[in-house]
Amino acid sequence: MGRVLLVGRLAARNLRRRPAEAALLLVAMMAATTVLTLGLVLHGVTDDPYQDTREATAGPDVVASFAPDNYMGQPADLAGLEALADAPGVSDHSGPYPVVGAELEADGVTGSRRTPRGEEVGGAAGVWAVGRDPAAASVDQPELTQGSWVRDGGAVVEAGFADALDVGEGDQITLRTRLCTPMTPTTPEQHCRVVNDHSFRVVGVAVTAAARPYPGVCFAPFCPWFAEAMEDARPQGPPPDEPPPDEAVDDERFMEDPVEPGLVWLTEADARGLAPAEEFLSYVVNLKLADPADAPAFVNAHFSSSTEAQVLETWQDIRAGHDQLVQDTQNVLVIGSRLLAILAVSSVAVLVGGRMADQTRRVGLLKAVGGTPRVVAAALLAEYVAVALLAAAAGLAAGWLAAPLLTDPGAGLLGSAGAPSLTLSVAAQVTAVALGVALVATFVPALRAARTSTVHALTDTARPPRRTPRLIAISARLPIPLLLGLRVAARRPRRVVLNTISIFVTVTGVVAVLAAKTLIGQDAQLVGGTDPGTVRANQVLLVITVSLVALAAVNAIFVTWATALDAKHSSALARALGATPQQVSTGLSAAQVLPALAGAVLGLAGGIALFNGLGGGEDGVTGPPLWQMLAVAPVTVLVVAALTTIPARIGARRPTAQILQAELA
Amino acid sequence: MLALLAKERSHGYELRTRLRQALGPLGHGMNRGQVYVTLGRLEKAGLVTSEQSAGLVDRPDRKVYALTPDGQQRVAEWLAEVGWPKPDLAEFHLKLVAAGAAGLADPISIVDTQRRELLRRLRDAQRAAMAESEGSDAALLLEGIVLRLQADLRWLEACEQNWTGRRSGS
Amino acid sequence: MSERDHTSVLRARGVRKHYGQGDGLVRAVDGVDLDVTPGETVAVMGPSGCGKSTLLHLLGGLDRLSAGEVWLGGLRIDPIGEKALARMRRTAVGFVFQAFHLMDELTAVENVELPALLAGSSARAARQRALRLLERVGLADRAGFLPASLSGGQRQRVAIARALANEPLVVLADEPTGNLDSAATLDVLRLFETLHEGGQTLLIVTHDERIAATADRLISMRDGAFVDETRLTGVTTGQLGALVGLEG
Repeated sequence: MGRVLLVGRLAARNLRRRPAEAALLLVAMMAATTVLTLGLVLHGVTDDPYQDTREATAGPDVVASFAPDNYMGQPADLAGLEALADAPGVSDHSGPYPVVGAELEADGVTGSRRTPRGEEVGGAAGVWAVGRDPAAASVDQPELTQGSWVRDGGAVVEAGFADALDVGEGDQITLRTRLCTPMTPTTPEQHCRVVNDHSFRVVGVAVTAAARPYPGVCFAPFCPWFAEAMEDARPQGPPPDEPPPDEAVDDERFMEDPVEPGLVWLTEADARGLAPAEEFLSYVVNLKLADPADAPAFVNAHFSSSTEAQVLETWQDIRAGHDQLVQDTQNVLVIGSRLLAILAVSSVAVLVGGRMADQTRRVGLLKAVGGTPRVVAAALLAEYVAVALLAAAAGLAAGWLAAPLLTDPGAGLLGSAGAPSLTLSVAAQVTAVALGVALVATFVPALRAARTSTVHALTDTARPPRRTPRLIAISARLPIPLLLGLRVAARRPRRVVLNTISIFVTVTGVVAVLAAKTLIGQDAQLVGGTDPGTVRANQVLLVITVSLVALAAVNAIFVTWATALDAKHSSALARALGATPQQVSTGLSAAQVLPALAGAVLGLAGGIALFNGLGGGEDGVTGPPLWQMLAVAPVTVLVVAALTTIPARIGARRPTAQILQAELA
Repeated sequence: MLALLAKERSHGYELRTRLRQALGPLGHGMNRGQVYVTLGRLEKAGLVTSEQSAGLVDRPDRKVYALTPDGQQRVAEWLAEVGWPKPDLAEFHLKLVAAGAAGLADPISIVDTQRRELLRRLRDAQRAAMAESEGSDAALLLEGIVLRLQADLRWLEACEQNWTGRRSGS
Repeated sequence: MSERDHTSVLRARGVRKHYGQGDGLVRAVDGVDLDVTPGETVAVMGPSGCGKSTLLHLLGGLDRLSAGEVWLGGLRIDPIGEKALARMRRTAVGFVFQAFHLMDELTAVENVELPALLAGSSARAARQRALRLLERVGLADRAGFLPASLSGGQRQRVAIARALANEPLVVLADEPTGNLDSAATLDVLRLFETLHEGGQTLLIVTHDERIAATADRLISMRDGAFVDETRLTGVTTGQLGALVGLEG
């Protein structure tokens, strides 16, 4: 017991002696642990909200919607929809319900709305309005999180949509429908006019498992995913539904398709009231199958590839839509936390290496007064283990506090409210990672220190600088700052390698993030981009980038400090022999800037490889734009130069006499 | 001994006491009679006079001794003498003590003079040593001389510090 | 006084160096005047803490004066900036330290050529000069050795060779034999004598009397100030026999 106390006291005292280092070390490890915690704890990642919602709302296995064939002037095939409800394999159904595509404006936020991305977007939001029975249905009865179910003049807004629009029970909304002329190859523009403009009161907010999350709500005739799937399935041939040429182009035959639509529920009467006429209505029916797993087969058997007027979605598709929101985020967080862990290891290793001289002497003293190798190693590790544990606790706290701050795309599902839960498993994982980082970084030095003979340890001959004759010969031909810098770097090759690795990891991360942002940006243009999934992904990317850069900065400071410390004697001597302080400080900077440049160039390749290796290389985006790629290396070099110049300058200006005198001690 | 008298006339036993004090433990081996024998010789040489202390039996330790002019001159010469290997340690030490006690000369300047002399000799010896081929007998002897000179110089340094302290302290 | 003065190679007037303030004021060097003529060897002796090392650093431009003036080669060095000081150090002074201060990872010849490289010589010229200097100090056969493989005396001789690399006006030596044993000291002594015969100006700070005895002038220092000066040249006792007590 006494030994444990001794080790603990030694560790505590050593940490107190150098608070700045301990603090930087803490920051380095905290970056990794916080991001990891976020990754593990964010809503939708650990629990299964979709399943919860499905059970609570009696979610359907297949959602089928039929739309009118506006080109041909035919109304929706209601009979066909009802026949589907009686098809073999169907055990229960609700509907058919009328569906109208409209525009929603939230009163009180006139003319604009806040998108989850934080932008103020003008104009109204797109919405599908479904007419429902005030009585409860047996399949897909949305579960209310606020207020009550539909009644005349009252609308229930889907929870995710409500969250994005920032509307709640008691707010007023206006639904507006438009009628448009057709789009033909000769007249690609549509002309639309408003036909109905009804105001409703929000009486409730509910979640459902029967629709994809906002803004991907999808009913016939406008459902991008379905169209894509159909494209794949359709044999080559002329696209259907081409209008016959020479038809009157002034005919208003289409309802305007809602853009980035959300979902609201109205009474059937109200929904019908929105449409200009019966024949413009679409209908949806929710089917429950005897065997939910059969849903894809069912859809394959019943869908027709020749028309877009019929949309069948399985619950697996819908679920995938919800999962998509968190999937990307989770990937990014996990990879990000791995990168950060590597960086943290590198930081700690540099720090440990830089203090090695001091440590070795302590080890020698401990051994000389009778400490066993085990005690010695324990004393060395105890400090870093203590910091690691503290970093784990702090990271858990920070991650837990930060998680609700990120946009929650899972607002449309149950279980989203409230703080995420910190389970024991999460805490254990994060602590394990923190300890792992500390151990990996300090293992080799601790081992070496424990094995050094006591005499060597005490007389500090344990770590002589490396000698590389070829580098020394080469450096003699270089200009003086490079001469000094190269020799300084050659003394401690391991530190140079660590430095390069840390820059490499950082740049890899940053490049991958830039590529991801480009991809997201491109995707956003395709599907809207204001959806919470995109927003959250961007937020997460930002968090990762900031952590990476902060950690790399900490690393650079460590390396500079350690280098300056190690080179103190050489620099003083060089100055005594006639080198100017500028030459010395430039050399010290160069000793780090050049490896950083190498790391940056390698990191560029690494980042692109990482991005593509994770399957990000779709839609023609294999990396960030060219100008960003070209900027990475110069920016890195400038930043490293700036960070290392100041400590280098300070080191180079200290009075020579003091340093040389001190060496006598 | 003469120098001790230079300050004032003294009884024989006073002289002995002061001598013992100056020499410390090294003086314990001194024979009691030695002082008086020496004093007798000095008197014969005409450097010292003695007279009986009033009203007492004819005993050497009761005699009061004083310096003659010749004696004083002799003291002055002695103080100014510089050399090596003589005066040896004890003698030089006594020289300093006496000079300090009698106020005849500044002990520190005595030290400085001796130091200068020793340095010159050291220089000579070193030059000679370097001129010799290595390992020759003469080289060995010279090295010994060099080391001794060095040791004496170190002691002189200590003397200087000591007497400077005494001067500033008193 | 004119800014240029050609009679002394090193001249100091009223040099002072203070640390701290008020009650904590330490006068490391307290008003020193000095003139060193070309080719002279001057030794400064004193007890430890008397400021002799500090004085040497001040004279060589390694530290800044609190007050006073220093001329080196006729040029005033106390007011000039760090950059100019560095350039001055390349050409005007060579330092020899008690702790040798060689770079551990460089061989003897690489150590010696360093000042020449810093002064801008080409790699080859610096290397050749270094080899010649090593020959001059008698270590030509050890050119490729690392300091760890050299004895103390050899290391100091390498340091002296390094100090000579740029043909300095004056070599400033701070306790050059402080870390050496008797035999090594003799080697260094011999070397200093050789340099002296070659006309090199030397200023040596030491508490070793043997080194001091080789000087032309010996200055005693105490508590930051010069207290005594002895001229040793040209004065011998004339008779070596007197050394062993033989009457000549």
